[in-house]
Amino acid sequence: MNGILNSILRSPRAVFGLTLLLLQIVAIIFAPYLAPYSPVEADPLSSLFPPSAAHWFGTDVSGMDIYSRVIFATRINLLISVSAVALAFVLGVPIGLLIGFYRGPVTSFVMRIFDFIQSFPVFVLGMALVSVMGQEIWNVAIVLAILFLPVFARLIRAETLSLRDRPFIAAARCSGAGDMSLMFRHIMPNALAPAIVQISISIGMAILLTAGLSFIGAGVRMPTPEWGLMVATGAQQMILGVWWVSLFPGLAIVVSVLCFALLGDAAKDWADPTLKVRQ
Amino acid sequence: MSLTKFWKGVPRPLRIVTARSFVIVPQMFGVMLVTFLLIRLLPGDPALLLLGNMATPEAIASLRERLGLNLGIWQQFLHYVTNIFHGDLGISIFTSNPVLVDLIDRAPATLELITYAMILTVIIGVTLAVISVVKAGGALDYGTRIYGLAAGAIPDFWVALLLIYFLFYVAGIAAPPFGRIDAFVTPPPQVTGFYTIDSLIAGDWAAFQSSVGRLTLPVLTLAIVNAGALMKMTQSTFAGVYRSDFIRHMRASGVPENVIVRSALRNSLPPIITLVGFLFGFLLGAAVLVETIFAWGGLGQYAVQSVINSDYPALQGFVLVAAAFILVVYLVVDILYELADPRIQV
Repeated sequence: MNGILNSILRSPRAVFGLTLLLLQIVAIIFAPYLAPYSPVEADPLSSLFPPSAAHWFGTDVSGMDIYSRVIFATRINLLISVSAVALAFVLGVPIGLLIGFYRGPVTSFVMRIFDFIQSFPVFVLGMALVSVMGQEIWNVAIVLAILFLPVFARLIRAETLSLRDRPFIAAARCSGAGDMSLMFRHIMPNALAPAIVQISISIGMAILLTAGLSFIGAGVRMPTPEWGLMVATGAQQMILGVWWVSLFPGLAIVVSVLCFALLGDAAKDWADPTLKVRQ
Repeated sequence: MSLTKFWKGVPRPLRIVTARSFVIVPQMFGVMLVTFLLIRLLPGDPALLLLGNMATPEAIASLRERLGLNLGIWQQFLHYVTNIFHGDLGISIFTSNPVLVDLIDRAPATLELITYAMILTVIIGVTLAVISVVKAGGALDYGTRIYGLAAGAIPDFWVALLLIYFLFYVAGIAAPPFGRIDAFVTPPPQVTGFYTIDSLIAGDWAAFQSSVGRLTLPVLTLAIVNAGALMKMTQSTFAGVYRSDFIRHMRASGVPENVIVRSALRNSLPPIITLVGFLFGFLLGAAVLVETIFAWGGLGQYAVQSVINSDYPALQGFVLVAAAFILVVYLVVDILYELADPRIQV
């Protein structure tokens, strides 16, 4: 734990990423106190006000305060992305262990399925799945989890393949360890590092995908505050010079994704110091 | 034995193409299975969903017949595959046209967009990568680091809106962001489907200018967002090659720098080719968003419409075509990869 902290503090990029993460956590916990207005209450009388002291980020077409919505949207966006990646990780790790440990027709069948999932353009498959399953928050998360699952399973499988023939596994087997114990007690702890590194990067990608899906109308629905949806509500006005409706939620996406990308880089350095990211 | 000998005698490029082309058959089969199951995931009667809420009982009954919904699931799949081979992807609920006709109408718009975006992405990405490695530590090297970091975090649809605001609304130098060509300009007669090429063939200068103007913003959007990833990948590959022994040996022998760069680039080609293939998939996904913003009228916008209108035959058809397109791109990429790297055994 100390090692992680040290390596984070030594890299300015990691410190920056951590700061952005803290900001988001504050926004999630204290949203009702930070937001001066309700995030879902429309006020037709204050439609499309430019940024001012009363409305820091202006108001959108239905008169909702954009600053309040950006703050509240942190909850939805991170909830979807983090739970999607968590689900993909929790399912991907055991699947990766199983298909790395055992060989046979089932293994290659599972690998072919992963090939198919990954050969589709991510966004196209995500869009089709969400629209078929119904546009609910949890369906978006489940679809994202399906899209990310192969990534984690493959990483774990690759590690498992290189670990399963190591002497310490043979030793454990000789001491009477069963397959389950070999996989989950001996191989898993040694195989997790690359998958853990992938978590942060995947969360960033999940945020981008969620926002994109909502933007085209295949994700979260109005009036739920969600960044991609908020950018979409301002898209029509951008041509008329009303810039604030789309600008601020878009910036929030950039900040959030950047945060997880930076943390991902830091995690990569921590997991493998020889593979230092080009700085 | 004689077959092996014959195979060995076939020229290498031909061997690569044949061997790879066989792989695509089971892949296409898998894609059809996925698009087939996609609709079966839906709760309720597929026939009702495919026809929409306005369907008459007779129409539903006849579609059930045609889809073979009364049969077992594998026979249904067989029906679906047979229909695809007959060019029957169903009827779009929203446009009332056969889905295949809709898709063929719209494909050139998307292909033109993606092709130019791809070209610009490769030019920007590779150029920045080469300069940042050759002139390491310079201002541009520093700039590429920030760009590389930011490009992965910026949503493409947001970039498109910012470009519209700054280049169209504020500066007034970009063409209006609606469609592929100005309303008062007649589109050129279709030859390739690419407005830029067709207008040149027809010698219609006004149409050419107009279509290039309309292409600028969406192509720029796609390139800005995607060049970052290509740049980072090229950087790491190219930097490795640039520091390798044979390059050092070239430099020690007094080979001019531009020849060294060219030869280093040639040797970092295989991974770049792979990434370019992946980029096609990404661009196709990104085109869905960008087309919606620019009212492009291509496959992407069609897909979004089908999602919004719950037009499942159209969506199913789009997913099938998109996946088939990507498979073909990957096939070409694999072939090019093996051609570019003579060490690979076929």
